[in-house]
Amino acid sequence: MSGIEIAGAWLSIFLTLCVLSFLYDDNPIYKLAEHIFLGVSIGYGVIEIYFGVFKPNLLDKLIDGTTAQQVLAVVPLVMIACLFAKLDKKRAWLARFPIAFIVAAFAGVKLTGQLNANLMTQVAESIPNIPEVWAEYGLWSWEADGAGVLSSIFLVIGLSACLLHFYFSAPQSKTMQKISRFGVLVLMLSFGASFGYTVMGRISLAIGRAQEMLGLDRPPEEVAVIHPKMATLICLVIVIGFLIAWRKRQGDGHEPAN
Amino acid sequence: MKLDTLIRFQNMDRRWIFLGMGLAILIPMLVPITLPFKVDERVQALYDAVEEVPNGSTVFISADFGPSSRPELEPYFRATLHHLFRKDIKIVSATLWPSAPPLVVPIYEELAERYGKEYGRDWCFLGYKDGKELAIKSIGENIPNAFPKDHVGTPVGELEVMRGYQQAKDFPLIINVSGGAPGTREYVLQIQGQYDLKIASATTAVSGPDYIPFYKAGQLVGLAAGMPGSAHYEKLVFPDGPPEGVRLLATQAYNVLNVGHAFIILLIVAGNLAFFVTRRAEEQEA
Repeated sequence: MSGIEIAGAWLSIFLTLCVLSFLYDDNPIYKLAEHIFLGVSIGYGVIEIYFGVFKPNLLDKLIDGTTAQQVLAVVPLVMIACLFAKLDKKRAWLARFPIAFIVAAFAGVKLTGQLNANLMTQVAESIPNIPEVWAEYGLWSWEADGAGVLSSIFLVIGLSACLLHFYFSAPQSKTMQKISRFGVLVLMLSFGASFGYTVMGRISLAIGRAQEMLGLDRPPEEVAVIHPKMATLICLVIVIGFLIAWRKRQGDGHEPAN
Repeated sequence: MKLDTLIRFQNMDRRWIFLGMGLAILIPMLVPITLPFKVDERVQALYDAVEEVPNGSTVFISADFGPSSRPELEPYFRATLHHLFRKDIKIVSATLWPSAPPLVVPIYEELAERYGKEYGRDWCFLGYKDGKELAIKSIGENIPNAFPKDHVGTPVGELEVMRGYQQAKDFPLIINVSGGAPGTREYVLQIQGQYDLKIASATTAVSGPDYIPFYKAGQLVGLAAGMPGSAHYEKLVFPDGPPEGVRLLATQAYNVLNVGHAFIILLIVAGNLAFFVTRRAEEQEA
């Protein structure tokens, strides 16, 4: 491993701890890490898009392409120029053409996919084939995480109740209110499941950082060179030392921001 | 327990919870524990879909993840590369995320070397393509048009592994490692139905519940969600434990995750108990 790679691993651990210091309070060392992250992300994105998109799709075609490619490449070039017209108030209207093109193209592309995959297929799937489900899983299958006729019926009733909850034109009779409440209950179950998955995702990210700080995600030969545990300990002392000094400077009246 | 203690517990500084969570993660890492787990049906289906691909054929991997989803998806990505290379399946890969190339290329190179696979003949990485849904449409229609050159500038026509593979439907299986958008949802919406493609997805825990309906509807042939999905896949690929030099990061993290979850459940139960007990006591006082 080169010296730069080792320094990079230490810097990564230091910046992780700087970001985690936000859990104590919003502080300058966290802000430093945040600004570095933003700057590096934007710089990286610009370079990647220039070499991955702008250069091969436009510049290379304009400079080295065939006559047909050069003529076609003029179209996006003109559109880009029109977008920059936004900077001049008098000619800002020119930007409407490329924006209209982008909006129309994306609307067209999105619409067909949404209708086919997200609406038609899902509606068809929400009406289960009960005899088929009975043959495959029976009433309830513990092996298949509860799949079966009972779950299928619950799916249909739950879906109908949720849809009726959002059917505002119907008079709110007692029956309708009961169905609506059941719909809300089903929605809450769904939100709960999503929230559970989200919490799990966040803990997973924390585990990922901890694995790096303890050197568990590296082969032993790299760990022997980088010494990630030592790096973590030293960086932790620096960050805690900074937080103590910063807190003293703030005085006793300081209230945590988070 | 005294009422004052319960009230103090409810008004506890949230930083104690952060500290507790940190310890719940660090302690099981330093003192590893192993808990048994059952492989999820959706992950098993993903594994089976790869098993059904004939040896020697080529699959397409869209590696759409970045540093933010790396802990959840890199273990799956590594496990699936072990699985594919071990089965002598060739790989054509690309990404719709600009942050993916520096993450995925070293993993490809490391595992290709381990299994003696040659770049251009057994695998290739076509690099990053901007355009989100439009780029996916292009992958569906004509891959050489979408990616005229690979990530090192070689024209795709010169890559042996690309011969006979012009568009998405030429591949027996498409694997999408999806950290968010653009990712699995966009692949399903844009090209799965149109070309009747077999798409398998490994995604983050956050996106998992959104993609389960796609799996139920047959729009995905398999689904691995979050760290548990990656751990289950590792278990399927390495049923007898990891070979030398392989680290099962998701399996290791899965046990830590269980302790983290237990800590959160404990806080939820304790918080609710404290709330109801103090409310009852206050009502009685009033």
